[in-house]
Amino acid sequence: MSTWAIASRAIPAPRKLMVSLLWGVAGTGSAVGLLATSAWLITRAAEAPPILYLTFAVVGVRAFALGRAVFRYLERVSSHNAAFHALETLRVWMFDRIAPLTPAGIRGVKRGGLLRALVADVDTLQDLPLRIIAPLGSALLVVVVALGAIASVTLPGSLLLAGVIALAVTVSVLIQRILGRASDREIAPGRADYANHIMDLIQRRRVLEAFGAAGAADEAARASAKRVLDSEARHALSLGVTPGLLMVFTGLAIATMAVVGAPLVGSQSITAPVFAVLVLVPLAIFESLAAVPAAMAAGRLVTASARRIEDSVPDSLPPEIPEEVTGAPRVELGELALDLVGVHASWPGSDSPALRPVTLSLVAGDRVAVSGPSGSGKSTLANVLVRFLEHTGDYTLCGVDVRSIPLDQVRETVVLCEQRPHLFSTSIRHNLSFAKPEGSDEDFLEVLDRVGLGSWVLSRGGLDASVGERGALVSGGQAQRIALARALLSEAPIIVFDEPTANVERALSDHLMRDLLHAGSAGSDRIVIVMSHTPVPEDLITQRLVLEPV
Amino acid sequence: MAFAYTLALVVTTIIDGGGSASILDALQWFALATVARGVTLIALDSLSSRAGARSKSELREALMAAVVSRGGGWVESRKSATLATLMGQGLDALDNYFGKYLPQLILTAIVTPVVVLVLYTQDLITGIAVTVTLPLIPLFMALVGWVTASVQQKQWDALQELAGGFLDTIEGLATLKIFGRHHRQRARIQELTSDYRTRTMKVLRVSFLSSFVLELAASLSVAVVAVSIGIRLIEEAIPLSLGLFVLILVPEVFLPLRAVGAQFHAASEGLEAATRVFDILDDAPRVTTAPDSAHSAPVSRLVLTGFQAKRAGLAVHEPLSFSVTRGEIVALSGPSGVGKSSIVDALLGFTDYDGEITCEDPARQVTRSTARDAVAWAPQSPSLGMGSIADNIALGDSSPDGALVREALDLAGASELEENTLLGVGGQGLSGGQAQRVSLARAYYRALRHDVPFLILDEVSSALDATTETVVMDGMRSMASRGHGVVLISHRDALVAVASTVVPVKALERVP
Repeated sequence: MSTWAIASRAIPAPRKLMVSLLWGVAGTGSAVGLLATSAWLITRAAEAPPILYLTFAVVGVRAFALGRAVFRYLERVSSHNAAFHALETLRVWMFDRIAPLTPAGIRGVKRGGLLRALVADVDTLQDLPLRIIAPLGSALLVVVVALGAIASVTLPGSLLLAGVIALAVTVSVLIQRILGRASDREIAPGRADYANHIMDLIQRRRVLEAFGAAGAADEAARASAKRVLDSEARHALSLGVTPGLLMVFTGLAIATMAVVGAPLVGSQSITAPVFAVLVLVPLAIFESLAAVPAAMAAGRLVTASARRIEDSVPDSLPPEIPEEVTGAPRVELGELALDLVGVHASWPGSDSPALRPVTLSLVAGDRVAVSGPSGSGKSTLANVLVRFLEHTGDYTLCGVDVRSIPLDQVRETVVLCEQRPHLFSTSIRHNLSFAKPEGSDEDFLEVLDRVGLGSWVLSRGGLDASVGERGALVSGGQAQRIALARALLSEAPIIVFDEPTANVERALSDHLMRDLLHAGSAGSDRIVIVMSHTPVPEDLITQRLVLEPV
Repeated sequence: MAFAYTLALVVTTIIDGGGSASILDALQWFALATVARGVTLIALDSLSSRAGARSKSELREALMAAVVSRGGGWVESRKSATLATLMGQGLDALDNYFGKYLPQLILTAIVTPVVVLVLYTQDLITGIAVTVTLPLIPLFMALVGWVTASVQQKQWDALQELAGGFLDTIEGLATLKIFGRHHRQRARIQELTSDYRTRTMKVLRVSFLSSFVLELAASLSVAVVAVSIGIRLIEEAIPLSLGLFVLILVPEVFLPLRAVGAQFHAASEGLEAATRVFDILDDAPRVTTAPDSAHSAPVSRLVLTGFQAKRAGLAVHEPLSFSVTRGEIVALSGPSGVGKSSIVDALLGFTDYDGEITCEDPARQVTRSTARDAVAWAPQSPSLGMGSIADNIALGDSSPDGALVREALDLAGASELEENTLLGVGGQGLSGGQAQRVSLARAYYRALRHDVPFLILDEVSSALDATTETVVMDGMRSMASRGHGVVLISHRDALVAVASTVVPVKALERVP
């Protein structure tokens, strides 16, 4: 899918777009009309006609003055409304595209902040209707109408004016391109480089000072800041030149009209008021052309955003991601068991496997610790087990080949406690209830008690307490406990932990591991699988699997 | 103004049927005025954006100076994340404030009265009309703002919540899929965005009112002036050239004010950023002690007497006395949170302490304020930076010794790592265990390169598996046998067993 095809999704429905364009044309048209009628009025008045001849113009001046403000207001409101309507479909489209790929198929998903940037990019696409199509569209229409009106008085004048306008637009667009493009390309990477320097400088200040390297790092950051300032200055210049240039072209247009019109006034083929209108109208036309450079700058941003979306969210499902078949019939499962024979897997976009062939056989009540150094594929295996990632080899769940079980049913059976469980920016209750929508407060409090959060939730003021933005008020260990609470609520008979102690202070991790394994297995025949690089207490497990680095 | 005047001149000359010579003359003046106006516009913009850039780099420099003078202990405190964002994107918010808003404001303050004055001298009635309408603008804007302020605030809060909703759903999508709850999200996103639209539009309808008022005042005063001039022209009270001149000039009175209005948003953002900069600059006077100048004498023993590290002026643990001799391994043990890392910070001069640090050489004893130059340190979090592994290991060395880098890597149990491997920000590209060993190698390198007598190793094996830990322990012993004194902080019993002395760190009994 091309960059343009992505960006064009932000364009509102034709009817909504037309309405806002119409108001835009009316607004810009009134601005031109105001200047034209007032110029006509004054010059005509100078000829001292009976005042009756002027009433029409007086009314026109007032109407256009009101119209300019009112129509501009209406244009703003309707174009924003249309853009937000388009955002609705745009976001749903984005969701449809992201959902099947999540989490393993989004390129670069292992880097933090990617999704955040992606969502920001989707919002940026709104600038296409707001800052590009609307102002350019109405400016174009008004210019065409004004030129047409002028043509009815003097055709060569109209053509010449069209030529000057075309020249003005071409020159300012070219200058923007030459000056702006290069600095645009430098600014974003330059700012990123500077941000990196600053991170380096601040987040490990003590190390830099202890190793006597702080001075050099400060200098490097200064040099980087200087580079950014230089490209920003060039960028500012590219933007600042255009209004000045347009001013000169306005002058040129006016002069052209004066030269064309002068002989006509002399030969009495047009009246003085008409001539005044001819000369002054370019002033208003060029005012609306000021939108062109701004639209160009917005255009570059929109293109960049659309390209990033295209790059990180492929539009087809890679073979490494299992496809979800909607409405697939549920499968009758046998006795609780999980068997892997020679299972390995690789991530989308990578040629090499991320996991050596694994063979494992588990029955009800088994608890297995999967260890191995980083890069041996612990997370890969966890993703395979819940079918986020396709595998080679045999994976049988309760005696049935897992590929013939609908994905939803697999995940009702195998539940994953992620390495970084996502907490929604709402209440504790909401963060539990989606695992068991019919659950009561008693259910939730009871399960929180089991994972060791009973007193914590009471001290926070109950289930309605907020977990903060993205769980900011919750520590790494508490997040893991909440994830386990969800898993227990879902009543899936197999629980997979992916590095539950990775984001927990070392001193607390043994304690947490013990609690998680205990709560996860107590009072049931659940199968528990723990991926961990730190040792798991022997007495809590029945099997051990060591993964070799690939 | 010259632009308006010459333009009016051109029109009237032609209408009056002046000869081609006088038309040409008028056109020449007009061309001159146009070019002058264009050039001034460009020069003004370039000047003001340069001034903006200068203010930005001055503030940036002030923040940098604050970082340097307050030192690592303060910088890495809670403020570090805010500080990093502020020095990065935060200051960019000032671009429009200094580069656009302020110059525009100044321009308005100068240009508007001048233009109004000229209008008065040319045409008294227009001058009065403009003087009456001009103050109406701020008045009406204030009125609109005052009436809508509370409604806006309420809407705004709701909006902030809704704006984050889509992101929250997308970020939590994997979790929702795990629980089979992603099917209903499609409808929820639609609903959420629709709600977002309705509320945003409510806010915008009101926000746009202020620019509506500006626009209306500007165009209505043009209309009023045009009509009044027209009527007086009929009465032949004023000449046509003056009428046109005034008509072209009137919108110019409102132009700067409208531009200020357009930049108003930039102003509030910029002010907020500036406030935060000054908050940080005013915050926390320097509390740490500066390190002594490099000490050349060969220190053989480091002695701590009645030593008590402090955080924010409060002691964190029981006073403590111990010593390390070259070649000896000493372990500090104690429960998590007792303040072992604070002891390290105090030794390095990043936080205050009570008690004494003494460095002994065979001849004499010297009391020092910090032991920074006698210590090579491997911190609890590896704190690696951008660049190659070798760059990281030879940190602070202007002429790195390649062979020694390799040796340090081997000693740290990281033989498998390539020294040319490039790392991203924060040492991205290495696993936790690898990063720990590179940080260890960095401390070894400094110790070997400059014969720094002591090593402080803070939890350097927490992310290592048992096999690697054995290799790391061998390296540690080897460093001790080469004559470096090692202070070890670890929870691992295996590691603590390497030490010849174990110093318990006790929590301070707080009187309730």
